[in-house]
Amino acid sequence: MYVAAKGGENAIQQSERLFHALKGEITRELIHEIMNTLPYLVDRVMGEGSLYAPELAAMAIAQAGGDLYEAVLLLRAYRSTQPRLAYAEPVRPETMITVRRISAAFKDIPGGQVLGPSLDYSHRILNLDLLDGMDSLDPPADPSAHNGSAEMGTSANGSSPSANAAARVYPLVADWQRGQGLLKPTAEAQPRHGADIPDVTRDPVLFPAPREHRLQALARADTGGVLALGYASMRGYGLIHPTVNELRLAHAEVNVQHPMTGEIFSAGRVRVSQAEVATTGGSKDQPGLTLGFAATLGWNEVKLIAGATLDMEMSQPNPHPAHTEEFVMYHTEPVEASGFCIHFKLPHYVTFASSLDNLRRVISTFYAGEAAQPSSLDAMRQASP
Amino acid sequence: MSELQKLASPREDYAYAFLDSYAKRELRRRMLKAIAIPGYQVPYASRELPIARGWGTGGLQVTLALVGPESVVKVIDQGADDSVNAANLRRFIARMSGAQTTTDTLKATLLQSRHRIPEEVMGEGQALVLQVPDPEPLRAVQSDSSKSHQMHADADYGQMWLVLYEQLVRYRQVLHGASYPSLVNGRYVISPSPIPRWDTPKLHQAAHLTLLSAGREKRLYAVPPYTDVYPLEFEDVPFQVEDQREWADQHTGARHKFMNEMPQPEGGAAYEISDTGFLEKLAAQQRGQASTIGSTYYDDQGNFYHNGYLKPPVQPED
Repeated sequence: MYVAAKGGENAIQQSERLFHALKGEITRELIHEIMNTLPYLVDRVMGEGSLYAPELAAMAIAQAGGDLYEAVLLLRAYRSTQPRLAYAEPVRPETMITVRRISAAFKDIPGGQVLGPSLDYSHRILNLDLLDGMDSLDPPADPSAHNGSAEMGTSANGSSPSANAAARVYPLVADWQRGQGLLKPTAEAQPRHGADIPDVTRDPVLFPAPREHRLQALARADTGGVLALGYASMRGYGLIHPTVNELRLAHAEVNVQHPMTGEIFSAGRVRVSQAEVATTGGSKDQPGLTLGFAATLGWNEVKLIAGATLDMEMSQPNPHPAHTEEFVMYHTEPVEASGFCIHFKLPHYVTFASSLDNLRRVISTFYAGEAAQPSSLDAMRQASP
Repeated sequence: MSELQKLASPREDYAYAFLDSYAKRELRRRMLKAIAIPGYQVPYASRELPIARGWGTGGLQVTLALVGPESVVKVIDQGADDSVNAANLRRFIARMSGAQTTTDTLKATLLQSRHRIPEEVMGEGQALVLQVPDPEPLRAVQSDSSKSHQMHADADYGQMWLVLYEQLVRYRQVLHGASYPSLVNGRYVISPSPIPRWDTPKLHQAAHLTLLSAGREKRLYAVPPYTDVYPLEFEDVPFQVEDQREWADQHTGARHKFMNEMPQPEGGAAYEISDTGFLEKLAAQQRGQASTIGSTYYDDQGNFYHNGYLKPPVQPED
């Protein structure tokens, strides 16, 4: 037996139907189009959804009509029910298939600066030709085809840079700094089973949080939220100037142990990105450089630079109130922040009535028989917690 | 179908009642702890659900961890069964659990609510799950949760009394609206959902179990059956429920139930009982139809069912 309580039931179903009627049809081709043409959008949703599944993320984007918070929620709600089948081996940055690796701290670094794929130095001009009838856009011209500059890396046919292939391994900038005594040596990590690592999605959150929770929360955090708080730190509410020590976009092998044979094998590759920022103006009792770090599934540079800056801020002894661990972790959680914000659409007439009752009592106490004075009431509203 | 396929259980996209068994186990353990330490906020992991966060996912996780095929579920929002979000949550719970649903408080075994406790007295064996946006009564005086945690440990509630006192000094009355801070079992101050002050006394020495759960904030707490719950009040300034003594329900003429005030185009207001399940039964009875109405927390003269618990209001002095 199911009791449909009058109007509400019908209304919500019709409302959902109307939403879908006002947007285009979702097809399997569309899902693959989204995956192939909008990889950075898919990455952002996968990172915030903390689930590496490009097809599901594309599906979520399509199903939500492009509403990113809805898409992230769809992915998270799916993720929260999935069992833990295995724990992957740690990914080491040196062994990742790195396609972009830059450092702002030095002109050149061991392994070299690798620009890789980026729009950083593009001219932000809309390609209106396509709208004016051109069938498809040509990719930007290959400069090496014309001038054969050795600097850009030329091969025999003049279009492939393979003759000047990049290094296979990119040593960490931080390792060089450790060698120079600029950074404290890394403590020897005890080998741990994946199941023993604190997990912010499976543990209650308490403060001060374990570092694992903090980094996991940053990896899942809302891009815009992390940017807002990180930018506030960079612009003037923080104590430190972040210098990008190293920024990487890479493909990482997901290495897992075979349950029967015990062999380590790759279950697939995922796009990952990580950023490390450094400051010379760290704490007084620690003379060397101070680092901040953030990493996420997918390629999302702006979130990681802001996130690594926040990581550095959160470790300071007395951070700005907006850069404490609790403030950052709670307020950059995309599903919770967006969900709570839109919940104010729900009826609140019971709690409103309760406050209105107080308001009327005060009015009758202070202004019985005369018209209320709005200015005094403003003061009273502010005082009510 | 191959032999192997016959041996395997059929594919199911989700576990019974959506949450996987690890999540249910965690929630049940946390609930037991919450019941063992009345009013103490127990942290829990809080899974994402296919419902927006902040829309009752804390209450929903508790409900999903308790619901069974034999359960009878009632869901209300602002007292109404047909409120759109209540309808949506009820639809989800029924779809994922196969439980029966009802709008009758007396028939429900499991009642999930946002912002209200029903007017009819709930009994032993019934569980009330309240959705909570902010579980921390100390938030207004201490926003750092590790510090407020310490204050609870020390029963350091001086600042809460100070807030009440300052309101008295400035406005000659206490101005807490809904979610009136209350002391549970003489030990922990809680933030009761946000239910109106009208509903707060219903938690005191209640026959039913109340579970309060905040999904975003990842905390749950409980008021077990037959536990003392007292709103913070000064001896000479008693706690007061919302004053709706002059209001009568526009359909039934009933008084002394929590009312919705509905502004009218000509400037006045109409009133309607907020508990729609109760109102429906009352209206049916007046039409001469059979309907079983239970005893209510407040009688038709507005007397609360625990004699002497609510004290007559004291008029603020000029």
